Amino acid sequence: MTTTRRRPVSRALPPVPPAEPETRAVTFARGRWLRTIPGQIRAYAVVALLAVAALLGVLTMAVGNARDSVQTIGHDAGPQVVATSALYFSLSDMDAQVANILLIGREHRLGIGYDESLRLYERRRGEAVAAAVQAAQLAGRDTDLRTTVQEVLQGLGRYERLVGGAMLLDRQADHAPGELPKQVIDAYRQATDLMRLELLPKAYNITLDSGAAVRQAYETKRSAVLSGRTWVAVTGAIALLVLIAGQVYLTRTFRRLLNPALVLATVVTLTLVLVGAGLLSALAGHIRTAKQDGFDSVLALSRARAISHSAFADESRYLLDPGRADTYEQTYLDKSLAVIYPDMGARPVNLESFYAAVNGGIAGYRPGDPDPFLGFFGDEARASARGGASVNFAEVLRAYRVVLDYDRRMRDLAAKGDRAGAVDLRMGRTSTVIRDFGTYDASLSALTAVHQRAFDTEIADADGGLRGWTALPPLAGALIAVLVVAGVRPRLAEFR
Amino acid sequence: MRATRLAAVAAGTLLLAPACGSSGPGSVADRKSLVIGVKADQPGLGRRGPDGVYTGFDVDVAVYVAGRLGVPRSRLRFRTTNSSVREAALAAGDVDLIFATYSITARRKKAVTFAGPYYVAHQDTLVRPGAAIRDVRDLKGKRICEVTGSNSWRRVVEEREIAATPVTAPTYGACMDDLAAGRLDAVSTDDLILAGFAAGRGGKIINAPFTDEKYGVGLRKGDLEGCEAVNRALTRMYQDGTAGRLLDKWFGDSGLKLTTSVPQFEGCT
Repeated sequence: MTTTRRRPVSRALPPVPPAEPETRAVTFARGRWLRTIPGQIRAYAVVALLAVAALLGVLTMAVGNARDSVQTIGHDAGPQVVATSALYFSLSDMDAQVANILLIGREHRLGIGYDESLRLYERRRGEAVAAAVQAAQLAGRDTDLRTTVQEVLQGLGRYERLVGGAMLLDRQADHAPGELPKQVIDAYRQATDLMRLELLPKAYNITLDSGAAVRQAYETKRSAVLSGRTWVAVTGAIALLVLIAGQVYLTRTFRRLLNPALVLATVVTLTLVLVGAGLLSALAGHIRTAKQDGFDSVLALSRARAISHSAFADESRYLLDPGRADTYEQTYLDKSLAVIYPDMGARPVNLESFYAAVNGGIAGYRPGDPDPFLGFFGDEARASARGGASVNFAEVLRAYRVVLDYDRRMRDLAAKGDRAGAVDLRMGRTSTVIRDFGTYDASLSALTAVHQRAFDTEIADADGGLRGWTALPPLAGALIAVLVVAGVRPRLAEFR
Repeated sequence: MRATRLAAVAAGTLLLAPACGSSGPGSVADRKSLVIGVKADQPGLGRRGPDGVYTGFDVDVAVYVAGRLGVPRSRLRFRTTNSSVREAALAAGDVDLIFATYSITARRKKAVTFAGPYYVAHQDTLVRPGAAIRDVRDLKGKRICEVTGSNSWRRVVEEREIAATPVTAPTYGACMDDLAAGRLDAVSTDDLILAGFAAGRGGKIINAPFTDEKYGVGLRKGDLEGCEAVNRALTRMYQDGTAGRLLDKWFGDSGLKLTTSVPQFEGCT
C-alpha cells in the first residue's frame, strides 16, 4: 500500500482500460493494478479481512483452550482424581475397623461396638471398590496406572482372606479387651502388613499420579490461554491499525472526513479485542484459583484426613500388638508429622517434643502467619488465609489438639503398665476420645467443604464466562467484514 | 504511508514478545545427558572403586530411572555428593538428580523437590552373631557406635531415651571393625547401610526396625515435571521386577527383610 510516490487525487482520473483476458494473470503479477485506486482499495479490503480473520482464529483457539482447561479441571479429571482419594481412605479405614474388632475381643460393646465396626468395614470395602473403578477409568490408556489399580484390587482379595482368618481365630480365642493371643496377633500382622506396606502405598500413588496428569494439563492449558491472550492483543492491534490506516487513506484520497462503516468496524473490533482479552484474563484467573485454592486444597485435606484416621488406628494397633508397640508409636509420630510439623528446635524428634511443639505452635498461630509449621496443615494455613477459611482452619487446629492430648494420656497409661486403662481410654469407656476424634473429623470435612465451594464457584463462573463464546466471535467477525465491505464499496462504485 | 509503517513496526515488536517469555532452567524430564549425585563411601549403596567407577543399589536405581527418562548410561555422569552439600549442589546445578541415601524430611522439602521414595529403609541394629539383643530396648546399657556427623545414635539415646553408651568412631566401616573386635556391642543405623557394610563380615541384623527413612530422589526445587517423570519410572521399576532384583543383588545375602512393593510416594512439591 505504498501510495506516497504517486498520489492520485483527481476523481477525474480515467479508469484503467480493461486488460486483455489472456494477459490478465501477467498484469496481476506485475502489480500494475496496485497503482490504481480501485486496485488499492480492493487490496486494502483483502488485507483488512485477513487481519480480522487472524484475530478471529486466535481468539477462537484461545477460548477453546480455556474451555478444555475448565472441562478437565472442573468437570472431568479434577473431580475424578478427588474421587480416587477415597480409595486410600476406605482401605485404611477397613484395616482400622479390623484393629478395633480384634482389640475389643469379647467385649462387643466397647468403642463403637463390634457390629458397627463390621458394618463400617463392609461399607468401606464397597467404597474402595467404587473408587478403584473411578481410578481405572481415569487411567485410560496409561498401562502402568491400570496395572497399579489391578494390583490393589487383587491385593484386596488376599487381604480379606487374611482378615477372615484373623477374625475367626479371634472369635475362637474369646479374649478380654487388649489381651490377644499370639496366633491372633500373628494372623493380624500378615493382614495389616499387606495393607500398610503394599495396598495403601499403591492407593496413595494412584491419586498422586492421576493428580500429576491434572497438574500437567493445567500448566499447559493455562499457559496456552495466557499466550492466546497475547496473540489476541497482537492480532487485534494489527487489525485496528489496518482499519485506522484505511480510514486515513480514504480520508486523504477522497477528501472526506470519516467513513462511518469503517469507524463502526473499528469500534466493533476494539470491543471484541478488549472483551476477548478480558475474558481470557478472567478465565485464567478462575482456573488458577480453582486449581490452587480448590482442587489442591481439597486433595491435600483429603490426604490429611485419611492419614489422621490411619494414625488413630495406629493407637489401636499399638495396644493390640505390644511386640510392635515401638513400631506403631513411630508410625503414629511419622503420620502426625506429615499432618502438622511444628518447629521442634533442637529437641529430639519424638512424641514428647511433638506434643509440646504442637501445643506451642498452635497456641502461637495467627492467621496470615507466613510459615507457622510444615506438613499438610502448613500448606493449609496459607491456603485458608487466602481463601477466607481461617475460622474453619482454627477450629481444625483446636480439635486436633484435643485428639493429640488423648493420645499422650493413653501412652502415659500404657507406659506405666496400665494396659487395661489405656484400652478403656482409647475405646471411650473412660473418655470422650471417639466423639472428640469425630469432632476433629467433622471440622476437617467442614474446612474441605469451604474449599470445595470455592472450587465450584470458580468453575461455575468460568462456565458462565464461556457461555455464548462459541457463536460470538464468528458473529462479530461477520459484522466487521460486512462493515469493511460496506465502507469500501461506495468508494469503488465511484470508478464504475 | 506512515501509519502503515508504524503498524508494521508495532506488529513486529508484539509478535516477538511471546517468543521471549517462559525460559528458566529446564526439567530433568527433557535432558539429553544427566549428572547424578551419589555417595562414594557406602558399600552396597554408592561406592567409588579405585578405578573411579561407582557401584551400588543407588547407582543401579539411578541408571534405571535415567534410562526411563531417555538418557542412556553412556550419557550419565556420576559425582560424589556428600550429605552436607546435597541441597547446595542441586540449587547450583552441579548435579541434576541425587540418589544418595537422601532421607525425605519436611524441612528438606522446603529446599528440594523429592521424587520417590525409591525405598523406605528403617533404622535397625547390627550385633555379633549369638548376641542377646532382640530389639532397640535391649540396647540399654550396651555400647553402640556413634559415627561423627551421623544422627543415628541420637535416635536410640535421645529420641527413644534408651540409656545406651555411645562410643565414637570416624566411619561406619570403623564401627564394623570395633564390633568384630568386641569394642562395641551394636551398630544401629539404616538397615540398607548396615547390610552393605556387614556383607562378608559376619554380623547379624536383628530385623527390629524402629524408624522409617524414606530414600528420595533429590531434584532442583520446583521441577515438578521431572519429579513426576521420576515417580513414573520408579513405579515401573517395581512393576517390572527390577527393584526386587536389584534389592536382592545388593542386599539379598544380608538376612534383611526387604520390601519389594512400591513405596508410598511423597508427592511432588
